[in-house]
Amino acid sequence: MSKFTILDPKQHKDLQVITDRDVTYGDNHHFVPVLADELRALVAEYPVCFLKDNQTGKLGISALTGFEQGENLYLQDKNWQARYIPLHVYRQPFMVGIQGNDGEQATQDNTVVTIDLASSRVNKKEGQALFDDNGNATPYLEKISQALAKLVHGSPRTEQFIQALLDNDLIMPIQLAFPLSNGEKKSFNGIYNIDEEKLASLSGEALQSFHKKGYLQACHLILASFGQIQKLIDWKNNQ
Amino acid sequence: MTNPIKSVVIVGGGTAGWLTAGTLAAKLKKEHQGGYSVTLVESPDVPIIGVGEGTWPTMRKTLRMMGIRETDFINQCDVSFKQGAKFAKWVTGKEDDFYYHPLVLPQDFDNTNLAQHWLQSGAKRSFSDTVCYQDALCERGLAPKTIATPEYAAVANYAYHLDAGAFSSFLQKHCVETLGVKHVLDHVTSVNNLINGDIKSLNTKEAGELAGDLFIDCTGFKSLLLGKNQQVPFKPCDDILFVDKAIALHVPYQDDDSPIASHTISTGQLNGWTWDIGLPTRKGVGHVYSSHHTDDDSAYQELMEYVKQSYNAPEQLSVREIDIKAGHREVFWKRNCVAIGLSAGFLEPLEASALLLVEISAEMVAEQFPANRKTMDIVSKRFNETFLYRWQRIIDFLKLHYMLNKRNDSQFWIDHRDPATIPESLKDMLALWQFQTPWHEDFTYAKEVFPAASYQYVLYGMGFETATSPLGMSDSSKHNADILFNRNIAQANKLVSSLPSNRELLKKIRQYGMQTI
Repeated sequence: MSKFTILDPKQHKDLQVITDRDVTYGDNHHFVPVLADELRALVAEYPVCFLKDNQTGKLGISALTGFEQGENLYLQDKNWQARYIPLHVYRQPFMVGIQGNDGEQATQDNTVVTIDLASSRVNKKEGQALFDDNGNATPYLEKISQALAKLVHGSPRTEQFIQALLDNDLIMPIQLAFPLSNGEKKSFNGIYNIDEEKLASLSGEALQSFHKKGYLQACHLILASFGQIQKLIDWKNNQ
Repeated sequence: MTNPIKSVVIVGGGTAGWLTAGTLAAKLKKEHQGGYSVTLVESPDVPIIGVGEGTWPTMRKTLRMMGIRETDFINQCDVSFKQGAKFAKWVTGKEDDFYYHPLVLPQDFDNTNLAQHWLQSGAKRSFSDTVCYQDALCERGLAPKTIATPEYAAVANYAYHLDAGAFSSFLQKHCVETLGVKHVLDHVTSVNNLINGDIKSLNTKEAGELAGDLFIDCTGFKSLLLGKNQQVPFKPCDDILFVDKAIALHVPYQDDDSPIASHTISTGQLNGWTWDIGLPTRKGVGHVYSSHHTDDDSAYQELMEYVKQSYNAPEQLSVREIDIKAGHREVFWKRNCVAIGLSAGFLEPLEASALLLVEISAEMVAEQFPANRKTMDIVSKRFNETFLYRWQRIIDFLKLHYMLNKRNDSQFWIDHRDPATIPESLKDMLALWQFQTPWHEDFTYAKEVFPAASYQYVLYGMGFETATSPLGMSDSSKHNADILFNRNIAQANKLVSSLPSNRELLKKIRQYGMQTI
C-alpha cells in the first residue's frame, strides 16, 4: 500500500531515494502514461499509442513497454534501456499532492510535493539524498520538482489535445497482431492510434487550429513512434 | 398519383410519434438534398401512455441511426441496462421455479444446435445457463459492458430499461433541434379526406389546416386516423391472451446504492403476472391480470404483496390503471395513412414488443419510403403482409409462455392450456418440436421478430420435452458440443470477474461519460 506524505525538509532530511530501475521497485509496468509534451523525446525510443483508463474509460496517451501485465521489456539488468525515461516513471516515488477540495484541478499554487514512504526506494542508507546539510533541496530533488511541475502543466494540455482529436474523429482502434519466433501468435485489443487517413483530409479551420496549437506535429510524432513496436517484438523474441 | 411524397404528418407525440419522427427524419436527412418535411402535431394536454419501460437490443441501432449519443440517452432518460428477462413462477408456481430468456444467443448458434446435445446429455443443468453465459451475469446484477467499452458496443448483448416519459421529451428535443422535425402543439379537430378516401389534411384548433402526403397515426388507443377516419376494424386476440388490465406504480429503492437488476423480472401471479423493472432512480412495478379470472381488489392485494418484498409501505404509493385490449388493426397501412404504436395494436408487455414494433415499423416506412402515391399502394401492401406476419408471431410467442405452464392453482393458468385457445400455427410448431428442436429453418421470414434461440430458451426453460433423436449424435458433434459447453463456463467465469455491477457502471457513465470509440 502506498503512503503518500507531504515532503518536509525537517522530518525527511535523512531520506534517500534509490533511482535504479527494477522489478523490485515496481517498474514492471507494461505501459506508461505520458504527456503530449513528451512526444518529441519519446518518439525515438517508445511506441506511443492511446489506451483507455479502466476506471473511467477515458483515453490517455501511453508509451508501450511490454505486451502483458508485469512485463516491461525496457528493464534489462537493472537498467532502463532508453535514454529518455518518461516523467511518470522518473518522478517515482514522488507525486503531486493537491491541497484543496475534491476534484479540484492542480495548479502551481495549490500543489505540494509528496513522497510515498512505503516505497521500497525510500531508505536512509543508499541512493540520492533529498536535502543537503542546510536543509536545502539537492539537485536531484530540484529535478524531481521540475518533473512534477511539468506533469501539473502538461496533464490538462494533454487532455485538451485528446479531446480535440476525439472531436474531429481522429482516433481509431487498431488491432495489434504479430507472430513470435516460437510460433505463438499474439494479438491485442484496446489499442488506439491516430486515423492517418482522416488526419490527411483535415482541412480549413480545423487544420489551421491543429497546426497553430502544435497538434498536427504531435499527431505525426505519435504515428512515427509506433514503428518502435518492432524493437519490443525483437526484445520479446530474444527473451 | 405520380407527384412525389414530400410532406409527412405524424399525429401524436408519445414515444411512438417521436421514435417514428426521428427515424424517418434521420433517414431522409442522410439521403436527400431537401424539399421534404416531417411534421409532428400533438395535443398540448393529452397525457401519454408511456408504454413499455423495456426495449429490445434493436433500440441501440435505432438511437445510433438518429445520431444520438448513448451517454446523453442514458443520463437523461433514467436508463439502465437490460440483459433479458427472468420468468419466475411461470411453470409450477413454486419458489424455486424460474428460467431466463437472455439476449445473448446460445454458443455458436449460427452453426451448432446445442439444444439437441443438452437434451441428449440428460438436461441436468438449466438450458440457458448451459448454453449461454448471461444468466450468470443477471443473477449477479452485473452490467453488460465496462466503462471502457464504446457507446452502443456490448460485451454481452443488451437492451434498455427506461423512463418512457423522459424518453419522449428527450427524443422530441433531438428531433426538433437536430433533425429538423416541425413540432406543432395543437388539437386536431377534424380530418379532411379526398374523394378517393385519402387523407388530405387535418384541421387544427389554432394553426388551421395541416396538409400532407403521408399521415402517420401515433394517436395511441384512440387510433384517430387509421381506426376512426380510415375505418380499419380492430381484431382482438383476447381469446388467446387473457390479460386485460394492468396496475402500475413506481417503487423507490432503499438507498442510492441499492442494486439495479440487469433484467426484467416477470413473476407469475394467480391470475396474471407482475413486471419489475429497475431504473437508476426507482423501480417500475406492475401487475397485469385477467379481469375475467379475478377482481381489481384481489389483483391490487397481490401487487402489494409483491412490492412488500422490497418496500415496506406499498399502500402509500399511487397506482395507475391501464386497460389492455389485446389485438391489432386488420391492416396497418391504408391509403396514405399508416398506424404505428398503440394505434396499430397492443399486447401485454411480456416480451417488450411494443417499442420494438414501433422501431421496426418506423424503420420499414423509412427504408421503403414511397416515391409517390402510386407506389405507396405497393409499399403498403408489403408493409401489411410483413406486419400481420409479425403480429401473429408475437402472439404465438407470448402464448407459448402461458400454454406450457403446469400450474393448477387457478383457472387462469388452466384455461391457458386449453387447446381451443392455442393458435393453429403454434400447435403445428409444437407438434414439430416434440421431435426436433427449434432451428433457423423453422422461421423463414427474413426479418423474424423472435429468432429460433428465443423459442429454445422459453421451451426448454419451461421444461418442454423434445424427444432425442432416435439416430443418436455423432462422436464428432458430441465433442464439438462439449467444447462449446466448456467455453461457456470459461466465458461466464471470466465475465463474472471482470464486469462491474449495473449500478456501478451507470454511476460511472454519469461521472465520466462513455467514449464513442
